Amino acid sequence: MRYFVEVGDEAFDVEVDGDRVLVDGEAVEVTLFRGPSSKVGSLRVGHRSHALLEARRKGDERILHLDGEVFRVNLVDERTHFVREMTGGASGSAGPKPLKAPMPGLVVKVEVEAGEAVLPGQGLVIVEAMKMENELTAEVEGVVAHVLVEAGQTVEKDQILLDFEAPHAAAEEGP
Amino acid sequence: MFKKLLIANRGEIAVRIIRAAREMGVRTVAVHSEVDALAPHVLLADEAVLLGPAPSSESYLRIDRLLEAARETGADAVHPGYGFLSERAPFARAVEDAGLVFVGPTPETIQAMGDKTEARRRMKEAGVPIVPGIVDPAASAEEARAAAEAMGFPVLLKATAGGGGKGMRVVEEPAALSRAFDAARREAEAAFGDGSVYVEKYLQRPRHVEIQVLGDVHGNVVHLGERECSIQRRHQKLVEEAPSPVLTPDERRAMGEAAVRAAAAVEYRGAGTVEFLYQDGEFFFLEMNTRLQVEHPVTELVTGLDLVQWQLRVAAGEALDFSQEQVRLQGHAIECRITSEDPANGFLPSTGVIGELRLPQGPGVRWDGGIEPGYEVGLHYDPLLGKLVVYGPDRPAALARLRRALDELVIPGIETCIPFHRRLLDETDFQEGDLSIRFLEEHPQVLEIRADADATRTAAIAAVLLEEEARRASTPARPAGSGGSQMSPWRAQGWPWNE
Repeated sequence: MRYFVEVGDEAFDVEVDGDRVLVDGEAVEVTLFRGPSSKVGSLRVGHRSHALLEARRKGDERILHLDGEVFRVNLVDERTHFVREMTGGASGSAGPKPLKAPMPGLVVKVEVEAGEAVLPGQGLVIVEAMKMENELTAEVEGVVAHVLVEAGQTVEKDQILLDFEAPHAAAEEGP
Repeated sequence: MFKKLLIANRGEIAVRIIRAAREMGVRTVAVHSEVDALAPHVLLADEAVLLGPAPSSESYLRIDRLLEAARETGADAVHPGYGFLSERAPFARAVEDAGLVFVGPTPETIQAMGDKTEARRRMKEAGVPIVPGIVDPAASAEEARAAAEAMGFPVLLKATAGGGGKGMRVVEEPAALSRAFDAARREAEAAFGDGSVYVEKYLQRPRHVEIQVLGDVHGNVVHLGERECSIQRRHQKLVEEAPSPVLTPDERRAMGEAAVRAAAAVEYRGAGTVEFLYQDGEFFFLEMNTRLQVEHPVTELVTGLDLVQWQLRVAAGEALDFSQEQVRLQGHAIECRITSEDPANGFLPSTGVIGELRLPQGPGVRWDGGIEPGYEVGLHYDPLLGKLVVYGPDRPAALARLRRALDELVIPGIETCIPFHRRLLDETDFQEGDLSIRFLEEHPQVLEIRADADATRTAAIAAVLLEEEARRASTPARPAGSGGSQMSPWRAQGWPWNE
């Protein structure tokens, strides 16, 4: 099976074919040793030994600890990859992305109103978690469409706090 | 000595105190909230008492429940740890009024030093140098602005009742003052129930150097040298070491004497810390923490003294059995705070269940932790998971040991700040001890975590081999014709491959 793997900004094409493991078309001598109960494995690349532990496996996402270093890995097999390509995927959003709570917490203050134009870096919502206030700021320019939370409200991770209007059609047409 | 000690705290510090008490033959009582019923400190203690629901205000901050727990278990002393009620004079007083010993200074001392304005006034009187600033809390943003303009920007807004970076804001320019003032007040009000904020001059490139002091009820006060805690993010310490890479013996003596003077001025009993800002040989009193510090282990390693056991001894009325001249500093110790915060994502708090934890071992390595596999890290409490502390004959040896120990430390299940510490160790200025409390502002690249190309490629391979293994494990009948006898090298060793 062939896999498309992303680690941070890097992309790899890894193919497992019987005995052989190919990384970007190049054969790699690699062995994974695993015990009966431990989640810890020993990955050998040549004779280089790496302590390996898989901490999370959810959908395409994996979190691996390799010699004390943490890696967030995204992995799709060839078949899934092509199916997604054909069905178009979900990329290319129209307006600025909605503001989501990066962690569970308490909304301390909402600093903008619906209809307000915001600039990059402008404070939008202050969320308190672990007794510290975190100010969430605008990444790009935009106009707030809806404010979905209010001060004093508890929010979950990834809950949408407010969203933005799609840019006007005219703005997308260049001169 | 006491018969039974109640520890009014949780996490790594509760574990640390229980260990110290056990070694002295003192029985221990843990207290806990509903979500902490299986926390390490509960499992380790001789007795445990449920206080209430998860929020601190309904459990660890409930003075009535704590005293009830002490009464029910027959404890004769209470150790507050750090944070929570450790610096609340009413708690110390309530413990004493209940006929128990509070392991710490008197309520009067806590009160005097806890009010930062009052503390500065007292220190000024005792001849301890202080940072220029107004002594009284500012009543309004306008008043704070006037004070700031008089001493010149940048200034620091600080909570009168504060500590730990809460209710604290740096203000670079007049225009930013009013918003920062409101935020500081809100944070202070939420964290301490007191929104008073004062203004002081912001030093450009100081180091955070603090002196550990220890006093008994017989009038003896000694200092145990300094800790440098300059590596901070938003006023939260991340790395601490002893001794400081820069202090000369003369400077150490001068700061030590000032700290002893500060402690003597409030008749200090127990372990305390006098924090200073240090810049070019000058030092200024910042505040005094009337409790055990998170970073106390580095002092223990270079002095050979057990600070928690000394806290218990002096609380029981014993006299210090050594003099200032007998305090010897040897070697170098460094501590990394390991928190459930994600450095790749602006240090946002992370939650989850701790997986198969792997802790560093071997010479010169100490782990003071409050987590175990299966423990769920939530958002109710401080993000500190544990402290990795190393000791070596000198700073370069300690740094090499820290690197080695960090390579061995694996905490699966949540994001931690371990990648930050690994990255920090690569920084030349850190290696050379060229530190200031602005280190992370001056070295923003430390907050950009990047793996090396080889390791990244290895991670990609590892993910694929684990994926193949998982797919085979979930497909018991192997498809015909795939060559059952022809096992690939990674498959042959795999498990549960041959089920």
